[in-house]
Amino acid sequence: MNRKPEDRLDKIVSDLLRGRRLKLRGGDAEEKAAITAAARLAGARQAPQRMHPAFRNRLAGALEQTPSGGWMTRRGALVAGLGLAAGAAGGAFLSREMETQPRRAGGEPIDPVKGRWVDVAALTDLPEGQGHQVVAGSIGAFLFRRGDSVSAVSSICSHLPCELWWSHRDGHLACPCHPAAFTPDGRPTNAYALPALNTVRVRVTAAGRVEVLGTE
Amino acid sequence: MTTEEQAGQPGDILELPAASRATDIALDELELVYAFIYARVGNRADAEDLTQQVAMKAIPRLHQTAPASAIRGYLFATARSVLGAFWSTRLGLSEAELREDLALVIPAGPSPEAGTETVQQILTQLSDNYRRVLELRFLHGYSLKEVAAEMHSSVGAIKVMQLRALRAAAKVRIPE
Repeated sequence: MNRKPEDRLDKIVSDLLRGRRLKLRGGDAEEKAAITAAARLAGARQAPQRMHPAFRNRLAGALEQTPSGGWMTRRGALVAGLGLAAGAAGGAFLSREMETQPRRAGGEPIDPVKGRWVDVAALTDLPEGQGHQVVAGSIGAFLFRRGDSVSAVSSICSHLPCELWWSHRDGHLACPCHPAAFTPDGRPTNAYALPALNTVRVRVTAAGRVEVLGTE
Repeated sequence: MTTEEQAGQPGDILELPAASRATDIALDELELVYAFIYARVGNRADAEDLTQQVAMKAIPRLHQTAPASAIRGYLFATARSVLGAFWSTRLGLSEAELREDLALVIPAGPSPEAGTETVQQILTQLSDNYRRVLELRFLHGYSLKEVAAEMHSSVGAIKVMQLRALRAAAKVRIPE
């Protein structure tokens, strides 16, 4: 999209003033100075911010998981829902520790108690390799077609209960609630040690229709 | 499913034990980190994610017996690193480029209370029009249309002025 820089910057400013997170694109780097200045001004609108009580509690829970020695372990933080991986500086340390720690794999299929196969699309409607969001009763899923076969994963993030969206540009499922992302087969991208997405049962009928195991 | 797995379900609310003094200290320090980060990213969601990252990176390497000054120093050093990585990822630039071009300078010590004051210092160094448009937009929460009416101008002109004012604001250097 070839928008004027003043329009693009105003979109970023408007989002910040509405309390939304920074969503930037590659081309925004040209206005990096103005964008960081905007973020700083937005951050200074009120008195210094304090953590939201729920967020503070999550951090406290992580700190209290410490068995001994330090304040907390990687495992303790994961149990408390702080499944965010560290960046470059701590990466090697954490990855070594992760190898020795039991990790939540996730990725289990969803088998609704009163499940039924729901027709959601024609096979020919699904673009090759691109996420296609469908709803089958109470089950939301992203379908991915490769040739004549189709796979499906839940459309709900495995960390925060937010509906994912398909990023064509990045080729992954992104969470709008925090910077987590998943590959089409549901695995978290490298930066985040989150459980994989639940898989959703899907089949293709002889008539070329795609059905998802959903609910009434 | 084991008890541990049950507790680890994403989004679970955990029964927290009474916070220990060590935890209180850590949380108080992380409050400073949060305010520090919020003042630089301008929104709660990103500030929470980044504060979590700081906790994840720094806390496992700290000991409860460490002096408060060392804890604070390490947390803020980690916050600098996390913020650099944040902007680098979002803008698709190397951290070196960002540090050079943006002077992503973060004070060595925590002074979150100075955030508003720093912004006022920046604004006072801008021309009258630039300062006014940023004050109305950011500090008073005016829409572009309201700013245009207040400044007897058009929305398009204010939008351009806002861009130029932010570019100018980015060039202002305040001694930290």
